[in-house]
Formats: sequence, C-alpha cells, structure tokens
Amino acid sequence: MQLEGFILGLSSGVTCVAYCASGLVPYLLGEGKSVAQNSAITVQFLIGRLSGYLLFAVIAWSINRSFLQQLNSPELLIGPAYVIFSMVLIFYGFFKTTPSCAMTRMNGMRHKLATIWPVSLPIIAGFATGLSFCPPFLLAFTGAVERTSLLKSMLFFLAFFLGTSTFFIPMPFVGIFRGFAALRMIGKMAAGLIGLYYLYCGILMLIGGFRTP
Amino acid sequence: MNRDATGARSIPAKRSLPKTFLLSLPMMLLTFVMISRGNIPTEKGRLFALAATFVFFNILFFLMLRTGKTDRFRSILFLTLSVCFVISFISNLIAVRGSMAVTEANWIEGEVPFCHIPIPMNLIPAALTQTIIFPGTIVGGYASIASMFVLWLGVSLGLGRGLCSWFCFFGGLEDGFSRILRKPLIKSINVKWTYLPYAVLLAVVLLVALTLSPVYCQWLCPFKTVTEFAEITSFKTLIQTIIFLSLFIGLVVVLPILTKRRTQCGLFCPLGAFQSLTNKTNPFEVRIDREKCVQCMKCLQICPTFSVSAESIAEGRTGISCTKCGKCIDACTQRALFYHVKGTSLISSLDKYRLLFLYPAFIVLTAMAGRFVQDAMVKMIKLITTGSMI
Repeated sequence: MQLEGFILGLSSGVTCVAYCASGLVPYLLGEGKSVAQNSAITVQFLIGRLSGYLLFAVIAWSINRSFLQQLNSPELLIGPAYVIFSMVLIFYGFFKTTPSCAMTRMNGMRHKLATIWPVSLPIIAGFATGLSFCPPFLLAFTGAVERTSLLKSMLFFLAFFLGTSTFFIPMPFVGIFRGFAALRMIGKMAAGLIGLYYLYCGILMLIGGFRTP
Repeated sequence: MNRDATGARSIPAKRSLPKTFLLSLPMMLLTFVMISRGNIPTEKGRLFALAATFVFFNILFFLMLRTGKTDRFRSILFLTLSVCFVISFISNLIAVRGSMAVTEANWIEGEVPFCHIPIPMNLIPAALTQTIIFPGTIVGGYASIASMFVLWLGVSLGLGRGLCSWFCFFGGLEDGFSRILRKPLIKSINVKWTYLPYAVLLAVVLLVALTLSPVYCQWLCPFKTVTEFAEITSFKTLIQTIIFLSLFIGLVVVLPILTKRRTQCGLFCPLGAFQSLTNKTNPFEVRIDREKCVQCMKCLQICPTFSVSAESIAEGRTGISCTKCGKCIDACTQRALFYHVKGTSLISSLDKYRLLFLYPAFIVLTAMAGRFVQDAMVKMIKLITTGSMI
C-alpha cells in the first residue's frame, strides 16, 4: 500500500524541510528574485531529491531480490530493522538537536560545483537530500525493501517523496519560514511519535517471524 | 463604574447586592431552562436534584458577579462537572453493559459513545472516505457523533479554546488535582514540551489517515481510565491498557499535583492544540495592560496551560493556547489582565466585556454540567437509600 509511504513522508516532511532546507532557503533568498524564480529552483531541488530516492528504491529492490526472498521468515530481518530505525527516529524526535542532513554537510563541495556548473546546484542539493540517512528515510528504505518488485519499491519511494514534498510547496514564499523553530520542534516530535507506531509494527513483525514454522 | 488613575474604566472590585441580583436574573432563567429542559420531575429524588443543582449553579454565578473573581467559582463547577460526569457515565455503562469494558460486539455494532476529543482526528478520514471511522452512532442514541460535533462547533465559534475550561467534562479532574498542593513541587517545565500537543495532533491525524481507525481513542486517550476501555483479550489490548493508565496517572493525577498545572491539557491533548487555532476565530480574548503590569510574573507562574510567557506579556496578550479560565485575571493584584472583545476599546467598558464573556461561557458550562450533576445526585441518593446506584 503506497499510502504508508505517503504518510511516512508527511510525518517527516516538516522535519525534512526544517533541517534539510536550511541550505536551500538561504540559496533561494540569495538567488531567487521572484516567486516564479524560487519555484523553478524548488522544482529543480525536488527533481534532484526524487532522483536520490529512486536510486535507493533500486537498491532496496536489489536487497529484496538478492537474499530476502530466499529467507523463510523475512520478518526476522525486516522486524528488527523497523525496531532499530524507529528507535533512532524516536531518539531523533525527542532528544537529538543537531541537523542530520547530508546536504548541510556539503556546503564546501556545493561552492566548488557552483563555479563549474551553476545550473545544477539545486538539483545536486536535492540529490544530496535524497541520499540523507535520516531516520525517516531509513524507515522508508526498510519499507521499500519489503516490496517484492522494483515497481512497488519505486512507487513506495515516490509516495514517500510526495509526502515530504508537500511541505516544500510554500518554499518559494520564503517569508513563511519566520516561525521555523516552532515548526521544527513540532515536526521532530511528530516524527518521534510516528516512530512509536513503527516500533510497535516492528515488534509485531518480529513476533510473527518467530511464530512462522 | 470605577475609574482608575488614568481615567480609564476598570472592573469594580465588588458589585453591590441589588445590581448583582439584577444581573443574575437572566442567568437564573436560562439555567432553569437548561437544567429542567422544560420538565419538572414528579419523583422526589429528581426534584431535589433539580432544585439543588439550580441553587448551586446560581450561587456560583452570583458570586462571580459579586466578587469579580472568575476562576475561583468556575473551578468549583468545573470540578463538579467532571466528578459528576464520571459517576453518571460509569453507572450508566454498568447499567447498560454490565461493565466499563467495550466488547468487540459493541465496537462492531457502533455502540461506543463519542466525546469531543477525537473530532479533529475524524475530519480528514471523513473528507477522504466519506465515512466516520469512529464506531459510534451518527444521530440519536447516547452521545452521538452528530450531536457532539454540533456542540463542539458552537462552543468553538463562541469561546474558542475556552472550550477546555468551560465545556470539557474531563478537564475538571486535572484542574482539581492541580489545586491540591499550596505550592508546586516542580516549578519549571522546558518550554519545548508545550509543542507536544501539536505534535500529537499531527501524528494522530496522520496515523488515523494511514490506518483509518480511531488511533487516539484506541491507544492514547488517558480518560479511558474513568470512562470505558477495551476488554483485555490480547497482547495488543494489554499494551493499550498500560498506555492509557500510565498517561492518566502521569498527566491527569501526578504531574498536575506536582506542577499545579493542567499538564494533560497543556502538554498532551490534541484537541487542545486544535482548539488553540479556534482561539483566532472567536471574539473573546484575555489581554494584559502593559502600563498596569509590574512584571511580577505571577500570571506566568500560575497559568494552568502554559499560555503566558514573557513574550506574550510584552505583547499585551495571553498565548494562543489560553483557555480563558480566568485564573491569571483573578491572581493579578494590579488588575492588569482582563477579558476583552476583539476589535473593541482596550481602555473602556472592561466590565462589560467580562459580562459579555461570562454569560455565554457560564451557559455552556451549565448546559454541560446540568444533566450530569442531577444524574449523579440521583444516583448518589439511590446508593445511600438502596445500597446500589443502578
């Protein structure tokens, strides 16, 4: 069910915008001169992000195809993955305070790229966001690994992407980011609470795996 | 009407007896209609309950007007509402079902009474699927979804988040517990936790959309402890029971006692978070006169729902989560806080604004409490005379 990927994306989208866009917003403020220009940059950024996600969809499918399908109880692998990643998400939601986005650590490289090929900058920034191993992403990756076909895996990540992207819609209107601190806190906590749900799912999956003869 | 040093009108410290009586008359009439619902019972016990409820309510309103204190008397009625609601609800459940436990059959047949808390969580699934995911009756029956929705909508439009202090039949419990100690044992709570209700709302709305089931009612509602809960028949229901019991003991009993705050309302309730938004769309608010304020921060220290901060004082108003309980207004020795009608003068007619707020707010409280107080009283009389409530 792709709705799961969409909801996971929605639940972590606020956090995604709050942290990962910390690189994009200054860029928008610095480069974009109008809402139309900002929209174009945001779209490029999102295309880059989608590319990153789809790359991981292929990896997730490869994992499933290479050895998960041979296992008698795949729940015994997926269950612990859910448990671990959801616990990381809970920790991230309620305790961790520093950003965890690959893009924010690529500022130096971005500057170098900007001088070589300026047009690509938002796409590369988006791609870097797509490769971030933040807890919501890891949970989405686990969900995608569960999917048995490449199409399903890609659709799962596409749904996740659409969920997170909803929060990027106001991005061209950067004035909205004044209340960022509160939004970031709420988003983080909500992601932590969603983590509790996935923790419960992981435990149930694990119990189910042990019961399988 | 009194005038202060600046010439602005202020709320009289104490109103004269004849004026108070005259102002109370409309409320007497309205409470009588609300409580009796047009029927004078012939049974002695019910007649006594009606008369006692009427007198009790009107004495409290009279004192509100006479003394100028709001929260002091509101809190008595609010606690009474919650206690009587619990007595009335549980005894009715036991009379109908034989226990407080909801069975799978009740769930499937849609016989679960609906309360106001899951309303925002039901809106998205209703919009997406054109179905109400809560297993209750839409119209008719006990606590139907439609009647609760209409009540909620009306109170939200009229009072905004005032709903949490003048309508919610659960809030009085923690309000009561928060008044047990004279001084709080835990004085400061990290401000980041005041964002938790919004996170709970967001997470619950998303999970409800994902699972199309009443997630909050099944997993998180602390008030199942004093209303109804799922029978423990599996590992899942055991976990659910542990969660709601822990939340009730922690957020409704222990933390309110230790902090002297309404911690469930201020730090957890998703409806409270939703109601905060309705505070923007209703006419009443609590304002702070910055010229009168001496920055003693008493309002900040005693606000039950963490709605007053140094920033909000500087802005001359309470925060978005204000429940209009009146506690800060009662506590301010400088009389710097006051009820206000949006868009009107900030220096004159302050007493009129308070009255304009008190009438609808008290009617709402009366409408909610009237039935439960009478019913609980009848049940208690029955318990004393026959040894059984049912």
